[in-house]
Amino acid sequence: MVGKEVERLLLKVQKPGRYVGGELNEVIKNKKDVEVRFAFCFPDTYEVGMSHLGMKILYSQFNSVPYIWCERVFAPWIDMEEEMRRHDIPLYALESGDPLSDFDFIGFTLQYELSYSNMLNMLKMGGVALTTEARGNELKNIVVAGGPCACNPEPVADFVDMFFIGEGEEVDLEVMELFRQCRAEGVDKREFLRRCAQIEGVYVPSLYDVEYNEDGTIKSFTPGDGAPAVIHKRLMLDMDKSFYPDNFVVPLVEIVHDRAVQEIFRGCIRGCRFCQAGFIYRPVREKSPETINEQCRALCENTGYDEVSLSSLSSSDYSQIVPLLEKLTEWTGEEKVSISLPSLRVDGFTDEIMNKIKTVRKSGLTFAPEAGSQRMRDVINKNVREDELMATCATAFAGGWTTVKLYFMIGLPTETMDDVADIANLGQAVVDTYYNTPNHAKGKSVRVTVSASSFVPKPFTPFQWEPQDTIPVLHEKQRHIKDSVRSKKITFNYHDADTSFLEAVFARGDRRLCKTMALACERGFHFDGWNDCFSLEKWLELFEETGIDPAFYANRRRSFDEILPWDHIDYGVSKQFLIKECKKAYENQTTPHCRLKCSGCGAAKYGRGVCFEKRQDMV
Amino acid sequence: MKNVRIWFKKDHECRYISHLDLNRAMLRALHKSKIPIWHTEGFNPHPFATFPLPLSLGFRGVNECMDVKLEDDDYSFKEIIDRLNACLPRGLRVFDVTEAVMKAGKIAFASFTIKLSGINKPSSLVCRQLKELLDRDTIEVEKRSKKGMKTVDIKPAVKSYSVTEKFDCAELDIMLAAGSSDNVNPNLIITALENENGVEYEADITRNDLYNSELEKFR
Repeated sequence: MVGKEVERLLLKVQKPGRYVGGELNEVIKNKKDVEVRFAFCFPDTYEVGMSHLGMKILYSQFNSVPYIWCERVFAPWIDMEEEMRRHDIPLYALESGDPLSDFDFIGFTLQYELSYSNMLNMLKMGGVALTTEARGNELKNIVVAGGPCACNPEPVADFVDMFFIGEGEEVDLEVMELFRQCRAEGVDKREFLRRCAQIEGVYVPSLYDVEYNEDGTIKSFTPGDGAPAVIHKRLMLDMDKSFYPDNFVVPLVEIVHDRAVQEIFRGCIRGCRFCQAGFIYRPVREKSPETINEQCRALCENTGYDEVSLSSLSSSDYSQIVPLLEKLTEWTGEEKVSISLPSLRVDGFTDEIMNKIKTVRKSGLTFAPEAGSQRMRDVINKNVREDELMATCATAFAGGWTTVKLYFMIGLPTETMDDVADIANLGQAVVDTYYNTPNHAKGKSVRVTVSASSFVPKPFTPFQWEPQDTIPVLHEKQRHIKDSVRSKKITFNYHDADTSFLEAVFARGDRRLCKTMALACERGFHFDGWNDCFSLEKWLELFEETGIDPAFYANRRRSFDEILPWDHIDYGVSKQFLIKECKKAYENQTTPHCRLKCSGCGAAKYGRGVCFEKRQDMV
Repeated sequence: MKNVRIWFKKDHECRYISHLDLNRAMLRALHKSKIPIWHTEGFNPHPFATFPLPLSLGFRGVNECMDVKLEDDDYSFKEIIDRLNACLPRGLRVFDVTEAVMKAGKIAFASFTIKLSGINKPSSLVCRQLKELLDRDTIEVEKRSKKGMKTVDIKPAVKSYSVTEKFDCAELDIMLAAGSSDNVNPNLIITALENENGVEYEADITRNDLYNSELEKFR
């Protein structure tokens, strides 16, 4: 619900439907009837944020508690931001129209390093002071954050009162309950934060002291006030009993993923060495086909969506994918609902799956071989062979598909120019496969899109010690692929290396970056993830002014015994395991996935999930 | 199979969604409501609905309509109203269902109520400016077309109008040519007024009714 002052601006900006709320299934409560008001902030546009599954889950879960009212806040696009500033309108939540500064909790989900500037900008626009310190000691406007980027919270540690490490479903509610008690007792914010730090999965950065060595690396990291030395992540052990919404807010304007989304499992069995998600969400925990089927049906009925997407890190690795698709197609045809299966692996696209998807809708095919040469794919532990990719493409071509998208990365550890050229060669091999497939679509030509992004080393991966290629080297590799593509059937795209560089700085940065972030906010930085706004040059000026060498974070090889900025956080995967994996990468050695063999990463300590499934090689 | 016309209001938050978004919201509601509507055939079957005259983003619509094909001839109209309203956002409210009497192509006029205010301008002044503009023999204004900007005379499209002075605005009731051939967007009148007087106005526009060339209400 928005006020008259806002309504006046709406006809001057693009897509005003993003700023008004009022969608089907939006939750409206009476603010007098609730004790805790939570502003769930997504530091990007409405279209992006409304597509995010985590927000849907937590929004529903918070609002299922009578004493909590959770509302949504998104970053207004630049035209709206300008109008709001000009008319002195603070950033508001869509449900009540109240400014951010009215809320007890202001929660951010950190999905992407380049959205940090939006987080700070949203606080500023909402009339909330930027840092824990500046917000004072009153028990209000508690700024919290979670999501994958919270695994290295240090670059934004000054701005966030507490981070939720791991999965949020339980820890969020425990903190809300503690807040309610603390308010009743009349305790101040500092005491509240001290008590929160005792909850497993809560990290209160202001309770820790960092000292640095002369070479800039971390000397020590010391907890104070009884805060734990190591913060352990939280996770849901029984996915069938874990909260899942039977209802989504259905947007009035078209969003990025405008469909029902059904989570089928968490984690990934593969352990690709570049992939953070493959490690921080361990162990793999599946929902049963029965649960998925019921939840899908409820969601489609309550939202009116005619498409449901089965979401996970690698859909074809769901152990009961075929029985699940059979169950779903029993009713989806009749109800005119189509199923989409994103994140298919090259080796997971079988005739059976293809035919099930085809009964309802034919979408484009996207595969991610990630690297061009077999040696490189072994280094990153992708465990996909060229003949598998060709067999899969042949299956798809015989089934009538004519477009394939292939995703790759450049700048991977140990990569040579020959490995890079093999990206183009692999694209060519797919083109050749099309013409060698006897029953490909008649009279149609094939289109292969080859996309290359630049590798960003991430915390909690075996490559967390690796230097990122410098921008000139990445440019040279991009050119090399371009020159190696000979067929007109291949379209080559690449991701801007400048943004990958900044992403690398923040991904593995430490607390000293907070002052750069604060200056960025003061200078009005926002939407760094969007080409419309991003400028590396301006960021380099900020680094210069704040005395930060960004290459120290992005391009430096770290030693295995260095204290890393995120070493005090435990995601269940041991550092020894990551070191072992890193060394195996240098020797082009692969590691079998979790269902074939346990490699002892450490995640078995949670006592559930794939670690305790019967393995294929066991009788 | 029966052609039915579903009448609804588009207001509040839904004022700010485009015709394309309205179409999507309606299709989703039809799908969710499980009313026996004819679906398109082919790869992506979806409920078939057409809109006799789309409404611009930002306008309120108090008598908007959408045509669908009902598969069950005996299906109750009241049931359609109740079921659809349960599936629609609060800014879209269905209030009637009728048989489709006139074809969409018959629409020739539309009536609007425009509440117009100038920043720091008394409504008496805005009323005078409006009358002065609308009384002319020609009202020329630049319009964006497929071939770039072109100047058009919108005066022939103004069928009738009246201006009333209100406490905080000038209220213009106006009947304009509408439909597939000579449609005139009332925003053009505001543009003309702004060009004339060199100031910006705030306009709250409601589309009231649609009419055929005989000025009979569209049914």
